[in-house]
Amino acid sequence: MKKTCIAMLLAGGQGSRLYALTQSVAKPSVPFGGKYRIIDFPLSNCANSGIDTVGVLTQYRPLQLNSYIGSGQPWDLDVNNGGVYILPPYQSAGEKGSWFSGTANAIYQNLAFIENYDPENVLILSGDHIYKMDYADMLRDHLEHDAACTISVLQVSLEEATRFGMMNLGEDGYIKEFEEKPKHPKSDLASMGIYIFNWPKLRQYLIADDADPNSRHDFGHNIIPAMIADGEKIWPYHFQGYWRDVGTITSLWDANMDMLSPDLINLYDPNWPISARSPICPPHQTGPHAEISHSIVTEGCEIDGHVENSVLSPSVRIDVGANVLYSVLMNGAVVEAGATVEYAIIGENAVVRAGAHVGAAPDGSEGWSVATIGPDVEVRPGASVPAGAMISKSEEV
Amino acid sequence: MNDFQGLIFAYFTNPNLRELINVRTAASLPFCGRYRLIDFSLSSMRNAGIYDVGVIMQRDYQSLLDHLGGGKAWDMARRSGGLRMLPPFGLPEYHRGNYSGTMEALIAVGSYIQDIQSKYIVLLLGNMVANIDLTKPMKQHRRSGAEITAICTDRGGDGFRMTYVPGEDGFVKQLLVDTDDPKAGPVSLEGYIINRDTLLRMIDECRRQRIYLWHREALPRFLEQGGKMDCYVHTGYCALIRSVDSYFKANMDMLNPAIRHELFPADLPIFTKVREEVSTYYAEGAYSRNSLVADNCIVEGSLENCVVFSGARIGKGAQLKNCIVMSDCIVGRDSSLDYCIVDKDVSFSAGTVLTGSEKLPFVVPKGSKL
Repeated sequence: MKKTCIAMLLAGGQGSRLYALTQSVAKPSVPFGGKYRIIDFPLSNCANSGIDTVGVLTQYRPLQLNSYIGSGQPWDLDVNNGGVYILPPYQSAGEKGSWFSGTANAIYQNLAFIENYDPENVLILSGDHIYKMDYADMLRDHLEHDAACTISVLQVSLEEATRFGMMNLGEDGYIKEFEEKPKHPKSDLASMGIYIFNWPKLRQYLIADDADPNSRHDFGHNIIPAMIADGEKIWPYHFQGYWRDVGTITSLWDANMDMLSPDLINLYDPNWPISARSPICPPHQTGPHAEISHSIVTEGCEIDGHVENSVLSPSVRIDVGANVLYSVLMNGAVVEAGATVEYAIIGENAVVRAGAHVGAAPDGSEGWSVATIGPDVEVRPGASVPAGAMISKSEEV
Repeated sequence: MNDFQGLIFAYFTNPNLRELINVRTAASLPFCGRYRLIDFSLSSMRNAGIYDVGVIMQRDYQSLLDHLGGGKAWDMARRSGGLRMLPPFGLPEYHRGNYSGTMEALIAVGSYIQDIQSKYIVLLLGNMVANIDLTKPMKQHRRSGAEITAICTDRGGDGFRMTYVPGEDGFVKQLLVDTDDPKAGPVSLEGYIINRDTLLRMIDECRRQRIYLWHREALPRFLEQGGKMDCYVHTGYCALIRSVDSYFKANMDMLNPAIRHELFPADLPIFTKVREEVSTYYAEGAYSRNSLVADNCIVEGSLENCVVFSGARIGKGAQLKNCIVMSDCIVGRDSSLDYCIVDKDVSFSAGTVLTGSEKLPFVVPKGSKL
């Protein structure tokens, strides 16, 4: 049956800059903001925007992501004639089969999936962004401007512009030039990596791109510049609101801290719920010595220590006399009696034993950064992990 | 195919639950910050692989239906079988008002039971708080040759009323009603595993003889006729919720980590309908000790010995002690509540003071605006 718009969610990235946190899971399934995993944001946005067909392109360590998404029921994406589909790379008869070699190639390899739904438009999403966005509004904008492609753009400062793909507009408001990480930016409109394409047009460009041996098969590097060169109508959708790329430890920590400020992004808005697959634990318990301030806590947690300015995922345990400050504790993390965790990210099921000390407050020095303890790591009693350290399972302290 | 199907009695509206059952049956009473009582019997069945379950309801079941939905939360939304709602149907013309007893409820859903193909039926109360590994009594029932296996507890307590006296052969000799003395024998959790044929025979006899009471009439007759009845003793936490007192006490029991861990072990999860997904925020200056707090709350005031359900807003300077606060309540600034059971959607304006006592917690009815 014909669809107006379906979504393709790129969730195959390794997230190598999150190293210890993504050794055994794909970046989109990293816990975020207490109850969520990163992928909950684009999936919930789809559901809230009325997009009921989502292909999730996986490649790197997809096991946890697959089981997390499951039937798509938590996002109401378990529907007839649509729903959420995990799309791994695959082999065809007589061919060698290959990994996705770029963002555009991942979509190209799944032409058959898209053609099943014969959509008029395809929304391309990234699995590592934190934001709330009405894709239906973007689609209206796309259709109104008769665009071959609409790119969601965000106003950034000129200093930040050097880290993004920047869009230069013509007098008619359409995008005339795309510069990847320019040294001397000409505009302040950054691409958010969210695209809506007219499907027949995109199909044509994907096929041409696949035939080009010199292409990196990437939307930002190849497809969009090719469309611009051909004079296709490319419209900027001006997004206003909270949006963060959480590709690095610092940005992941920052964005988690933002969840404590409803002025930045309000997760309590019943009109735009972000949904997650719940582990269904009993409510969190505060013990007889608990002190919790300016923090978010969720189901299954047991808190008897001191927690300040922190974000706790389900089933975190903080024992009596422990101090947790400005930190992100992922599912099942444990901080034992008398231990201190500050300015740190503690991975899933990691244990900080009694009296240990992880991280340090910013001291103004240039080398300072957030300390990271990978999933399942045990920090031994009394051990000390300095600021900026990243400990993974193979190098326990 | 599973040899077992389930039936849950969810029609009780015991008057001792007072205002709490104005809008619901005991089985749909909110519990422990996020559950409904019926989650325990449903999850026990689900964890034992029983996915075909009938829920016997009679009146005031809107809240129960909202909670159960299609049964998805307990994996009971099935193509064949699954969760079945059993409101009264095909009632005899002499029927008036409430079911006068369990036997009458069974007679009322007799045609559903007729259609059950499984050999055995598990009967549980919807207002029971216990996480029973039913695979054990199911196994025992298959082996013992008993027609009925009564599920019992080794702990007495408020809400328990029956004790089984075993005979020399180990099978039940006598049923003591209004006794919960563990010395006399196993105390009944009022759950049973019964052969389908036995249950159908009892329903048929009792319908013809207008016998409506299970424990006082039907079971004693079964024993008199030489029926074989065995006991299985469940050893974990359990409570039967039949009064405001037992409701308050069982909720407060959940503040004890040892009891809570016993009731919610990782390998026998209690499933429930999932509400909105957002964490609870503690503001600067908030205070929360020895309390259970569900998600989606914003706490600016102080909580001590409280069970708080999702969506609560606890204003600055508000002080809550020994309270149960159900979903979506708003407690205004500087309010002070002690020993209160606050039903859903209640809002207290700033500075409200309400004090109950341990023996008589103050029940604030659903939707009140104070």
